[in-house]
Amino acid sequence: MAGSIKLGFLGVAHFHADSYVQAAKKLPNVEVAGVYERSHDLSSQFSGKFGVKQYVSPEALLRDVDAVVIASENVLHHEYVLQVAEAGKHILCEKPMAVSLEQADEIVRVVEKAGVKFQMCYVMRYHTVSVLVKELLKEGRIGRLLAMAGTNKLNRALPLLRAWFTDRRQSGGGAVMDHTVHLSDLMRWYSGAEVVEVYTMIGRNVNPGIDVEDNFLTTVRMGNDVLGSIDGSWTYAAGHYTWGDVTMELVGSDGVLYMDAFRQNVYYTGEDKLSWHYYGCDPDLLMVEDFIRCIRDDGKPRAGVYDGRQGVAVTLAGYESSRLGRPVKPG
Amino acid sequence: MAAWRMLEDCRVVGLWGRDKSRALDVAARYGVKAYESYSDLLGDRDVEVVDICTPTYTHRKLAVEAMEAGKHVLVEKPMALSLMEADEMISASRRAGVKLMVAHVLRFFPEYMKAKDLLDRGEVGEIAVIRAWRGGPAPEWSPWFMDLGKSGGVTVDLAIHDVDFAVWVNGGMPSEVYAKVANLKHRSHDIHDYALIMLKFPTGSIAFIEANWALPNTYPFTMRLEVDGTKGMIHLDNQSPTPLKLWTGSSVEGFSPETLPWKPGVHPFPIDPFYREIRHFIECVKEDRKPITDGTEARKSLEVCLAAVRSSSEGRPVHLGG
Repeated sequence: MAGSIKLGFLGVAHFHADSYVQAAKKLPNVEVAGVYERSHDLSSQFSGKFGVKQYVSPEALLRDVDAVVIASENVLHHEYVLQVAEAGKHILCEKPMAVSLEQADEIVRVVEKAGVKFQMCYVMRYHTVSVLVKELLKEGRIGRLLAMAGTNKLNRALPLLRAWFTDRRQSGGGAVMDHTVHLSDLMRWYSGAEVVEVYTMIGRNVNPGIDVEDNFLTTVRMGNDVLGSIDGSWTYAAGHYTWGDVTMELVGSDGVLYMDAFRQNVYYTGEDKLSWHYYGCDPDLLMVEDFIRCIRDDGKPRAGVYDGRQGVAVTLAGYESSRLGRPVKPG
Repeated sequence: MAAWRMLEDCRVVGLWGRDKSRALDVAARYGVKAYESYSDLLGDRDVEVVDICTPTYTHRKLAVEAMEAGKHVLVEKPMALSLMEADEMISASRRAGVKLMVAHVLRFFPEYMKAKDLLDRGEVGEIAVIRAWRGGPAPEWSPWFMDLGKSGGVTVDLAIHDVDFAVWVNGGMPSEVYAKVANLKHRSHDIHDYALIMLKFPTGSIAFIEANWALPNTYPFTMRLEVDGTKGMIHLDNQSPTPLKLWTGSSVEGFSPETLPWKPGVHPFPIDPFYREIRHFIECVKEDRKPITDGTEARKSLEVCLAAVRSSSEGRPVHLGG
């Protein structure tokens, strides 16, 4: 593909859109063509903040772009992906890919038929540290992988900043929907097997004022009998020193790996505040860069449409197991 | 032994061990009597209290015999390997009118006492999620630990510390237990070396407890705790605040004043958790009070750990209580 790749933003309700647009603007040969966002206020805000053109409809945006970032509310992903794929444009899709398995399966079919690139925003497949874990596993540094226990916890103040996160009709659910997939995807990636059994417990909320669950614990078993545990709770206290974390302990036959992917912070204490300043790698930049590379070189995304579908399956199995009170095999 | 000798109102009379030469060794080191047999120990009228530090599978028999001989008993955790054994011990203590305390020493560790204190003061609000992690190399130095039928494995022997803590701070038993318990690395032994346990309490709070014996031999013994509540969270990690660390070719050793044995004249007051534990027991004996981890209380965490093992083997959550 000659010249710049024109990238559009379809829905920017997810915070991550802010980071993706900044990443895109750093890349050579990428032109951010503009944004369509159904909320007029959010659209103007995004356009003003990042200096990108506003479009009045998805159709208008799609006419002007080669590829699209979908970072809307979760429930809109399905409709948007179908529209973009049918227009023959490439897709970088925020997680979770969809809020039902029917939607996810339809996305897989439509994307495969359209032959466009589809990359999931499973950012941990691009983070330098979690990629290093993958390499160390491949080198056999801890022998055979046996068990993985991870956290992807969030500061409880954050989901409140955008109302849709805690509105089930927009998000499809709370912490389980939001924070199962990064770890379940890493577990699939690291173990080379699918999740075959899920059991989820949901506790009482730390924030009783919201009507979605803000905490959960999940135990999984992989097809090769590797065990896993996921804590994706939105329960770090508002005063916690960072936004949250992604950690994983991997137990192998010959050793243990412990990853704390966002630990590289300088902590600042001033007269009346504490703040944290992250100096680690920029995984969003690495992820957007790889998406552009896949388009340009006809490459295969590291996290593709099927990985998106499997994340949805594990997430929904979590909800179902919690409802039924017994372990569930993801669909 | 070191902790017992710090108590001014107690005297170590003697000891008995199944390994006679070892018993003689220890007795000589501390200048106390070595009994020929356990019944000799129990027959000694000077002995008022028996501290049982034998392998778990021997606890019931030794504890019941001691209590039937009218001795107060402090027994190492876990109290036993089954609820039936635990119940026999509890009723023996009732029948004989003697104290039975199970040495759940975690409740006497300064960091866990501080955590409990913060929770009691409401600093965290209502508990929503507990995460607890505990691990180190498998205790292969003592073969009985590596025998499921004798130690109960990592769930009953190690995870029980955090289960006990979760039961303590939640004010009672969980209503649901789900676990994956496995033998990851010690295939030549009939043992569990890894446990992932999830608990749900009647209040709606949940807990995740991981206990790990599948770690390299160089791994320092580590315990971490996080409690998330409606008003805040607390977090502790026994490795991070360690003020003194010793690295050698094969190991890392940490030292903290709060967990070091008390040395008279060196520390201003005894702060060793084992000291605090037996101090509590002796106070309960002298003042006729109920030990914080008496048989009934210790039975709770045992029941939860046994339920976790059952949940794992049956592949489903286990519901407890009525």
